[in-house]
Amino acid sequence: MATSTIVERPALVRQKRFSETYIGQWLTTTDHKKIGIMYMVTAFFFFVVGGLEALLIRTQLALPDGKVLDPQTYNEIFTMHGTTMIFLFVMPMFTGLGNYVVPLMIGARDMAFPRLNAFGYWIVLFGGLFLQSSFVFHAAPDSGWFAYAPLTECGVQGVNCIPATPSINMDFWALGVLLLGISSIAGALNFVVTIFKLRAPGMTINRMPLFVWMTLVTSFLLLFALPSLTAASGLLLLDRHLGTHFYQAAFNGDPLLWQHLFWSFGHPEVYILILPAFGIVSEVLPVFSRKPIFGYTFVAWSGVAIGFLSFTVWAHHMFAVGLPVVAQAFFATSTTLIAIPTAVKIFNWLATIYGGKLSFKTPMLFALGFVAMFLIGGLNGVALAIVPFDYQVTDSYFVIAHLHYVLFGGAVFAIFAAIFYWFPKMTGKLLNERLGQIQFWLMLIGVNVTFFPMHILGLLGMPRRIYTYAPDLGWNELNLLETVGAFIIAAAILVFLFNFVTSLRQGQPAGSDPWDAFTLEWDTASPPEPYNFKTIPVVRSRRPFYDKKNPETADWKVAVH
Amino acid sequence: MSVAYREGIPALEQVHDEGGRSVGWWGMMFFIASEALIFANLIAAYLYLEIRQGGHGWRLPSEIWYPLINTVILLGSSAPIHYIAAKGIEKGSQRRLIWGLLATIVMGAIFLGGQVYEYSSLISEGFTPQSQLFGSAFFTLTGFHGLHVTVGLIFLLIVFVRALNGHFTKERHFAFQAGEMYWHFVDAVWVFVFSIVYLLPLLRG
Ligand code: HEM
Ligand SMILES: [Cu+2]
Repeated sequence: MATSTIVERPALVRQKRFSETYIGQWLTTTDHKKIGIMYMVTAFFFFVVGGLEALLIRTQLALPDGKVLDPQTYNEIFTMHGTTMIFLFVMPMFTGLGNYVVPLMIGARDMAFPRLNAFGYWIVLFGGLFLQSSFVFHAAPDSGWFAYAPLTECGVQGVNCIPATPSINMDFWALGVLLLGISSIAGALNFVVTIFKLRAPGMTINRMPLFVWMTLVTSFLLLFALPSLTAASGLLLLDRHLGTHFYQAAFNGDPLLWQHLFWSFGHPEVYILILPAFGIVSEVLPVFSRKPIFGYTFVAWSGVAIGFLSFTVWAHHMFAVGLPVVAQAFFATSTTLIAIPTAVKIFNWLATIYGGKLSFKTPMLFALGFVAMFLIGGLNGVALAIVPFDYQVTDSYFVIAHLHYVLFGGAVFAIFAAIFYWFPKMTGKLLNERLGQIQFWLMLIGVNVTFFPMHILGLLGMPRRIYTYAPDLGWNELNLLETVGAFIIAAAILVFLFNFVTSLRQGQPAGSDPWDAFTLEWDTASPPEPYNFKTIPVVRSRRPFYDKKNPETADWKVAVH
Repeated sequence: MSVAYREGIPALEQVHDEGGRSVGWWGMMFFIASEALIFANLIAAYLYLEIRQGGHGWRLPSEIWYPLINTVILLGSSAPIHYIAAKGIEKGSQRRLIWGLLATIVMGAIFLGGQVYEYSSLISEGFTPQSQLFGSAFFTLTGFHGLHVTVGLIFLLIVFVRALNGHFTKERHFAFQAGEMYWHFVDAVWVFVFSIVYLLPLLRG
């Protein structure tokens, strides 16, 4: 442990050490709250980077025969957009949020391995900068975020395609992803051990807040899914630099091996990106409905079920490659099965707000927006599990519509719900409510204007990953509309940034419990002291802080948990 | 946590220690689990490619005796670190700790040397990672294991030097314990790698 042995001796005038200066405190910190904040700020920075890349994409596609980006640059931009959003924005954002909130929620003083925690953060930062630095060398990755072989091996011995000379673009990708994987593994095992071993007395597994539950499941998914990506990109690097033949059909290797390895990481990964969002929404909806969550056990265990099932569905990304019919039937079935635990959650959330005293503050708006948008994304996901339909729309804009409804309408809405909800805890100030509402409505409109038409374009046959299109295909109006939508989203983000900066400076003081919340993190100062709790709380129900505030109607008096 | 100590607030671990394994033990376990899964993926890839190539079995151009002896040595190396070193330090015996570690390190190094020898004779026969798909798969899987043996050895060497300096006591020797866990893992994985690479083709005849 980073025990500083400095003893307070006011009489002595002592030179300040680096680790005691303001900057030094942040750079050398092992405090989960500081690390959490650093993760989130870094993730947001990469969100802006990925967002600018998205705006470039949409500017290029606004009109037919666009001239803003040349084909190679377009490939690099969409690859980096997807890679950045997934690996550098959503994942670190949830790691950061979990870092901040989980120890507080379970009544712990810190994560189990504070130094490993700091290590994980610095790896994310440098891994991210490493990936983005590829632009400086005009060598940004260009084979899409799932980096299909043999595209990634162009020019490598015996693999013929254009360009004929090997370039280092995909080395940036493979190495970057390996680095980020190390960090995620470190983070995940830290969460698992923290949640298993450092809970406050009485905080049994069945009393843990649902955000903690979902973080736990996510961490297991990371531990068990990331090794596939590590293996896959390791083999890719060997092919590229040692002359092995894993993905080279000309030497009996198999490009499909890449797809199998990648997607057996990739599908659990999409749940890694959404389960923490489920957790956030399951915290926010009850507080703003003044009711406990409906069907706690179902919400928790359906998350576990999703976790298991997510390892059995990977080849639904590969329907079009010519798998045996039996395999297609299997993966179609398992994919539709996973919709069941997901739908269970939707019903739980609806039942939670049903009959509640709803208060439509910004966190609540984003949480409700999440439920609506995620429902759309989930339904068209089930559509994609229908194999004959998938044949028609795979690799078209329909898929892009689907993934953005779940990732933007889902993950990003939940992230903003979380930011508005926990910002007062982290800073002691409230974000401006009016600006929050404006941002929410702009985003809701923007997301639907941008991504809904993509369904139609997909059905009209517009393929994804094309850098431009001819004017006579009937795609012009919808593409222009989407670009308008993208700039509406950008406006919403600007409103947020303005809100963030001004509220940080002169926001309304929040007090320690602005939402009259239920869980332990609110039973501390805002922001909490470095050691979180003066005395470790003793927990007797699922809503320990609610109990403390309402001893007459405490949960443990009425219900038996 | 430092601050908590300074203000005289007990750290959580002291408030309620439910007993059971230490936090470090669990951390190490999950780390090993995810490493084991990398091996599982590589083994799956190996079998997938072998089957796709016709499933006739991939047989090395060399004899099996040499790797077999090597295997016995590697598996044997798990004994001294457990029965001599670990049991020793649990009773507070520094001498047993040091000798047990040394025996394991020497056996591990012999294994590694054997692997280098095997590689060089295969390569001189023209069987290389580049020569054919089997070569790619063979050298990658066994080489990845060799890398783990190397890391394990470095780990144990550090522990050994610390043991020489008397850093470990009966109660406090987690670094040693972690090293031992890692070494057992490296051994156990070899059982799988060896069975798939060397024994499976024999079964197919
Ligand atoms: C302003 C917001 C956004 C806009 C306008 C936007 C736009 C787009 C477009 C047009 C594509 C398709 C590129 C192509 O196939 O040619 C795309 C791909 C993608 N987007 Fe976004 N996006 C936005 C936000 C996000 C977010 C927040 C995420 C994830 C959390 C995300 C994840 C992805 C992924 C994974 C791909 C696939 C990349 C690939 O094909 O390799 N996007 N985006
Ligand atoms: Cu999937």
